[in-house]
Amino acid sequence: LSFFCLGPGAGQDVGRSCILVSIAGKNVMLDCGMHMGYNDDRRFPDFSYITQNGRLTDFLDCVIISHFHLDHCGALPYFSEMVGYDGPIYMTHPTKAICPILLEDYRKITVDKKGETNFFTSQMIKDCMKKVVAVHLHQTVQVDEELEIKAYYAGHVLGAAMFQIKVGCESVVYTGDYNMTPDRHLGAAWIDKCRPDLLISESTYATTIRDSKRCRERDFLKKVHETVERGGKVLIPVFALGRAQELCILLETFWERMNLKAPIYFSTGLTEKANHYYKLFITWTNQKIRKTFVQRNMFEFKHIKAFDRAFADNPGPMVVFATPGMLHAGQSLQIFRKWAGNEKNMVIMPGYCVQGTVGHKILSGQRKLEMEGRQILEVKMQVEYMSFSAHADAKGIMQLIRQAEPRNVLLVHGEAKKMEFLKQKIEQEFHVSCYMPANGETTTIFTNPSIPVDISLGLLKRETAIGLLPDVKKPKLMHGTLIMKDNSFRLVSPEQALKELGLAEHQLRFTCRVHIQDPRKEHETVLRVYNHLKGILKDYSVQHLPDGSITVESILIQATAHSEDQGTKVLLVSWTYQDEELGSYLTSLLKKGLPQSTS
Amino acid sequence: MSVQKSRPVARARRRSAMTRECSLLLPRVCAALADPRQPGSDDTCLEKLLDWFRDLTEFDPTVKLVQDNPCLTEFITSVLALPEPSPSILSFTLRLAGILAASENRFQHLQEKLLVRLFGRDGPLNGAVWEDASVRSGWVEGVHSMMHHQPALHFLCNGGGIDVIFTLQGDPSLFVASAASQLLVHMLTLSVESETTKPLSTKDCDWPACAQMIIKRIEDSLQSSSASHIEQSLKLLTSLFGSCRATWTEVLWLGIAKQIESFLTEETVQAQHMLANLLLNMAWSPVFCDTEGNFWALVTSALEHLTPVQAGPLAVGILRLYKCPQDVRIQALTVLLQPMDCILRAASQPLEYAGLLDESVSDPITVESLLSSKSSCASLLCQTLAHLEELLSLIRLPVDLPYTSLLRSLMTILQFCNGFLSPASPLGSTISRILINSFRVQRSALDVLAALSERKGCDTLIGSLFDVLLAYLESPNTSPTVLKKTFQATSKWLVRLQELSCSNSQWQQAEKILEDVFLVLQKRLCSPCWEVRDSSLEFLTVLIKYWRDQDEFRQSLLSSEVPRLTENLLEDPESYVRASAVTAVGHLAFITYFAPESPVIGNQYNKENTVAKLQEILSTDPEGFPRRAVISIFTKWLRQGCTGQLEDTEQFVSRVIQIVEHDLDWEVRLGGLELVEVFCIHTICQLGLPKCPYAPVSSAVTSSIHQNESLQIFCRAKLFSFLFRSLCDCDKPVGQRACHILLVLRGNFYPISPLKDSQEAGDSSAGHGIAWLQRTLKQGSLAQNFPTDGGNGVDFQDPESMMLALGTIDLEELHDELNKSSDHVEKSPQSLLEDILATVGTTEENEADCY
Repeated sequence: LSFFCLGPGAGQDVGRSCILVSIAGKNVMLDCGMHMGYNDDRRFPDFSYITQNGRLTDFLDCVIISHFHLDHCGALPYFSEMVGYDGPIYMTHPTKAICPILLEDYRKITVDKKGETNFFTSQMIKDCMKKVVAVHLHQTVQVDEELEIKAYYAGHVLGAAMFQIKVGCESVVYTGDYNMTPDRHLGAAWIDKCRPDLLISESTYATTIRDSKRCRERDFLKKVHETVERGGKVLIPVFALGRAQELCILLETFWERMNLKAPIYFSTGLTEKANHYYKLFITWTNQKIRKTFVQRNMFEFKHIKAFDRAFADNPGPMVVFATPGMLHAGQSLQIFRKWAGNEKNMVIMPGYCVQGTVGHKILSGQRKLEMEGRQILEVKMQVEYMSFSAHADAKGIMQLIRQAEPRNVLLVHGEAKKMEFLKQKIEQEFHVSCYMPANGETTTIFTNPSIPVDISLGLLKRETAIGLLPDVKKPKLMHGTLIMKDNSFRLVSPEQALKELGLAEHQLRFTCRVHIQDPRKEHETVLRVYNHLKGILKDYSVQHLPDGSITVESILIQATAHSEDQGTKVLLVSWTYQDEELGSYLTSLLKKGLPQSTS
Repeated sequence: MSVQKSRPVARARRRSAMTRECSLLLPRVCAALADPRQPGSDDTCLEKLLDWFRDLTEFDPTVKLVQDNPCLTEFITSVLALPEPSPSILSFTLRLAGILAASENRFQHLQEKLLVRLFGRDGPLNGAVWEDASVRSGWVEGVHSMMHHQPALHFLCNGGGIDVIFTLQGDPSLFVASAASQLLVHMLTLSVESETTKPLSTKDCDWPACAQMIIKRIEDSLQSSSASHIEQSLKLLTSLFGSCRATWTEVLWLGIAKQIESFLTEETVQAQHMLANLLLNMAWSPVFCDTEGNFWALVTSALEHLTPVQAGPLAVGILRLYKCPQDVRIQALTVLLQPMDCILRAASQPLEYAGLLDESVSDPITVESLLSSKSSCASLLCQTLAHLEELLSLIRLPVDLPYTSLLRSLMTILQFCNGFLSPASPLGSTISRILINSFRVQRSALDVLAALSERKGCDTLIGSLFDVLLAYLESPNTSPTVLKKTFQATSKWLVRLQELSCSNSQWQQAEKILEDVFLVLQKRLCSPCWEVRDSSLEFLTVLIKYWRDQDEFRQSLLSSEVPRLTENLLEDPESYVRASAVTAVGHLAFITYFAPESPVIGNQYNKENTVAKLQEILSTDPEGFPRRAVISIFTKWLRQGCTGQLEDTEQFVSRVIQIVEHDLDWEVRLGGLELVEVFCIHTICQLGLPKCPYAPVSSAVTSSIHQNESLQIFCRAKLFSFLFRSLCDCDKPVGQRACHILLVLRGNFYPISPLKDSQEAGDSSAGHGIAWLQRTLKQGSLAQNFPTDGGNGVDFQDPESMMLALGTIDLEELHDELNKSSDHVEKSPQSLLEDILATVGTTEENEADCY
C-alpha cells in the first residue's frame, strides 16, 4: 500500500489536494485540485510525476473527488480533457451537480482576464462531467472486479463525502475535508467501524480547538445589523456556492426574527441555481432543515431577492451578496468601488483571498489601493473577515479515528508544525503509526492481508471426520494442497490436486546415517536392532525382511559395515514425509546406541 | 499591427523592472522575511517574488541589482545567521541566491561571503534542516539556477557537490529526486560544452574534469548490483539523450553500450522497463539514428526481448520516425499488431483465418498467454489500441497499416465486449469471457475505430461495421461514456459512408443505415440519463452539419420523430441538455426553414415559433449555457444569411440586443456583440461599396449615400447605445469587443483619421452630449461603470450625434487601456511587495481558511 501526494511542490502547504494511493496493485487518484494562488502552470498538479511512461488512463484505475471545492476538483477538466485521462471518475450526486457550477464560475473569472490560455473551456467542463459516475452514500460501488469504493457522509459542504477504497481485505479511507460538528445546514461526518489499514485525514485545523461557531455567527449578525441600522450598505463577496448558502440562511432567519426591512440581494443567477440544488438534495442537509422542510423550505428565501446592476446606486441600507469572492473582477469589484468611499458601509470577506487581489489587500489592512489607470481608491468602508469554514478540529480528527479504528493514520492538508503535535497525540492515544509525508514523498505501508481461501468439500469432510467439529474460537490446523489459479486460492486434498493438475505424485524420503559401535557381523547387528526396536515400539509393526533390512511402518533400516573401521556399523534410516515424526524418533533412539545386554 | 504586438512584451518588461518604489520597499520586505518573529509568508508570495527576480536578472548579467540593493545580500547573511531558520525561508534564500549567482559577475560578487555557506559542506546540507524536503528542493533549484558558467561548475565540483546531487537522485521526495537528475544532465552538458577545447572522439576522449566525475559515477552505478542505482542512471541517460543531441553523446554511449545491452538479457537486473524510453530518446537523436548497424540492432533486440507491454511505447515511437531501417519498422509494427492478430485468430475457424501478420514473423505464444489471463488481457489491449490510435492520428504515416484486417479485429473486440461473439476456440472463448462488459476496452476500441474512418481501404466492411455500431447504440447495457464514443465513431463513419455513396451513387445502403440511426436516436433522446440525451443531441448536430445538403438525409430525418423530440428538449430540466437542444434546433432550421428547396410541408415546422421560443430562452432561462447557445445560433444564422431580408434582420438584431444587454452572464453580452459585428459587416457589404469595411473607398459620393443609410439602420437598431455602454462593462472582454467594433465602424465612416476635438465639435446640442460621453467613457471604462441614469443628453439613435461621437472619441486610447490585462495592477511587483509588507504583523489565521 503506498501513498503519494502531488501537492504544490515540496513541503506541506495549504493549496490543493491531489493524492495517489496504490493499494494491492490498484492505483486510485484522490481529488484533483487546483491552486488558486497562481495563474500559470503551477495552478494544476504536474501529472507527469504519476507515471513517466505509459498513459494515465492505463495506469489509474479511477479518480475519486471528495467534494466540490476547487482545491479538490478544480484541475479535473484539465486532467480529463487536456492531459487526456479517459477512465472513470467518481463523486457523490450533489457534487456532480454542483461541481460544474463552480468550475464554470471559476473559468469565467479566469478567462475574463486577458491573456489567459491553457485553461479549460465550458465544453470541456461538460465533457468531463459526462465521464463522472455519481454514487450514493453507503452504496458499495464496484469499480472493477477487485476494486470497490463506498462513500460516507462528511459534513463540510453539501455532498462532501469520505471514501473507503477496498481491494480484497485491504482498505483505505480518505476523508477529504470533513466536519465533526453539525452546522446550520449540514450534519456531522460519520463513518462506521470499518478498521481500514490506513486513514488519510485532512488536518487543516490540526491544533485548533475552534471557538464555537455560534459566537462567530452572532458576531456576524451583529455587524450586519449595526451597519444596516445606521443606513450603511453591506457587501459580502462570495463564490457562487457553499458559504453563501449558509450566510443566506443565517440572514434570512435573523431578518425574520428581528422583522428587518432592509433589502438583501443576490447579485448573480448562479446562486439561484445553487439554492435549487440545496433544495434538490435536501436529504444531504442536517436534520433540522429536513424536519422543517415540510412546513417551510429553508432555501426558499422570503427576504433575499435577485440583484440588478442599477440597485447599487439606490439610497439607503442594503445587503448584497456578489461574486467573485476575492474581489478581483466583475460584479463584486464594481460594487466595492462604488461603496468603498463611505465609512458607513461595510464589506465582509467570508473566505480565503489570493495574494494580489483586492480582497487580499483590504484584509491585510491596506486602505489606499491603486486601481486601473493609476487611480487611487481610498477605502473608508469597514472591512471585516469572518471565517465560517467547516473543518474538523483536533478533537474532531481524534473522534473520527476513534470511530473508524484504523491501523495507520496519515495526515494531509495541514501545516507541518501543527501536524507534528497531532501526530504525537494520535500515536499516544491510539497506539497506531501516524505519518505526515511532505508533498512528493512516497509513504509505503505494509499490510498483513488475510487472503480468503476456498476449501474443497471433500477435504473439509475428511478433516472434520478426523477431528472435532469446527469451532470459530479455536483455530485448527489443516493439511491440504493450495492451488492458485486465476487470482483465486483453493485448498484441496493432495489426491484431488494431483488429479486436477494431471501430475504424478513424487515420493519424498528422508535418510539419515547412524553410527553404532558393534564388532559383530552385519546381520547380527541387524538382529540386535530388530529386537531392540520390537521391544520398545510395541504398538507398531516392526518387521525383519528376508533381504536383511528392517521396516517400522514405512521406515526402512539397513546396516553396513564402515569401510575403514569394521568395528563400526552404519545404520541407514529412511522414512517418508508422512512418517516424519516416527522417523525422527527412531533416529534419536538409535543414536543413543543399543543396550548392552540384549545378546 | 507589429507595433501593437510588441507592446505587451515591452509592457511586461517594464512591469517587472526595479522601479524606485520597489527599491524603496525591498529593504523592508527583506527585513520582514528574515525576521523569525514574523509568521511565515504565504508560499505563493515567495514564489512570485522569485519569479520577479528571475525576470530582473534574465537579461542583465551585471552586478547592478545586488550593488544597488545591498539588502539582498544582507538578507541572505541574516538568514544564515539565524540559529533555526524556518525551512520555507531557508529554501527561498537558497533559490534566491542561485538566481542571483546565475551570471558570472554576480557569482563573483557573492562568492566569498555567501555561496560557500549556502551550498558548501558547512551549509544547510549538514544541518538538521536538511531533513526538510523543501530545503533540499531549494538547494537543488538554487544550484540549477546558478549553473550557467564555469566558475559555478568548479565551485560545486570542487566542494563535493556532485556527491550530494547523486545522493539526492534517490531522495524520498520525488520532486527533489527528479530535480537532482535534471541538474546532473544540465551540469554534464554545461561541462562538456563549455570546457572542451577540441571535439571529443572515441579515440581521444578527454573529458573535462567535472564531466569525468559525473560519467564515472554513471558508469559505476550501471555496474553496481543496486537496482535503484541502475534505474537512476538510466533515467539520467534517458533525459540526457532526450535533451542533448550533440555528437559527444555518442562517445559517452560507446563507453556504456555493452553494459546496457546486457540489461536486456540479464534477468537478474530488473531494468528492462527503463530501456524502452532510453532507446526511444536515442532513436530521435540524429547522433544515433544515422549510425549504421549497432544501434538499430540493439533496438531490434529490445523489441524482441522486452515484454509486449514494455515494448509497446518503443514500437509506436519507432513507427513515428521517418528515418529508420525498414526491418526495424516491421519488427515494431509486429509488436503492435500481434495482439490484434491474436484476436482475429481467436475468433475464427482455423481455415478461414486471414490474419494480420505473416506467420513467419509472429511469435504469438507470449501474447496469447497475456491475452488469456484476466489480469493482463484488458491492459495489453488498451495499451495496444491507444498506440494504434496515436499512429492513426498522424497525418502522414511512415508505414502502411493493414486497415481492413485492423478494422475486422476492432469489430471482433467490440463484439467480444458486448457478448455478441463467443467463438468456439478455447482461446477465443477465454478472451471473450474476460472482455465481456469491459468499458475500458470498449472505449479504447471505439477511439481507434473513429480514427480509422479517415483511412481509405476498408470500405467493404462498412455494412457489418454499422451492425456493430448500431448494436452498441441500441443496447441498454452500453454505459453513457461508451455511448458517447459510439456516437463519435458513428458520426465519423457516416461521413465516410456519405463520401462512398456520393462516389457510387448508391444511396440504398446509406438510407437504410440512416433510418436505423434515427430510430435509435429517437429512443436515446428520451433517456432518463442527461449525459445520454446530451450526447445524442451533439451527435444530431454533427450529422446535420455534414449531411444537410443530401436530400436522402433530410427526408429520413424529417420523417422521423427526431425533430419533434429535439424541440421538446428545449425544456429539459438539465441546462446542458437545453443548450445542446438549442444548438441542434438551430441546425435543424438549416434543413427546414432555411433550406433552398425545403421539403417541409404544412406548418409543422414554424420558423416564427422557433425563433420566438429561442428568444424566450434567451430572455428567461435561468442559466448561462442555453442563453449562450441561443446567441451563438443567432449569430450563425446571421453569418449564413438566413435571417431574411434586411428589414427583418434589423428588427431581429435590435430585439436580441435589447434582451442580452442586461444579461448577467458576460459571455452572453459578448455573444451579443459578436452578433452586432456580423450584422454591421453584412449591412455595410450589402449596401454596396465598400465591400469590406477595411477596403479603400472608391467613390466618395456613392459611398457617402450608403454610409448614411447604414448609419441610420444602426441607429434604428439601437446598436450604439449597446456598444457605448458595453465600453464600461464590468467584465473586460465585453468592453474590448465593443471598442473593436466601434473602431471598425469608424474605419468605415471615416476612412481618413477624423479625431476632432469635442470642444470644436460644434456648439450643437449634440456636441455637449458627446463631450460628456467622452469624459464618462474615460473614467467609466476604468471604473467599469456607466451611469445608470442614462445618456445625459446623448441621443444614441441620432445618426448625426453618433457620427460625431465616432469622430470625436479617442477610441484608440480606450482600446489601449482596455487591452491591459485586468489584473495588471495586482500582478505588479510593487503590489506584491506591498502585500507582503501588509501581512507583516497580522497573525490571523486567514490563510488557513481555504475556500
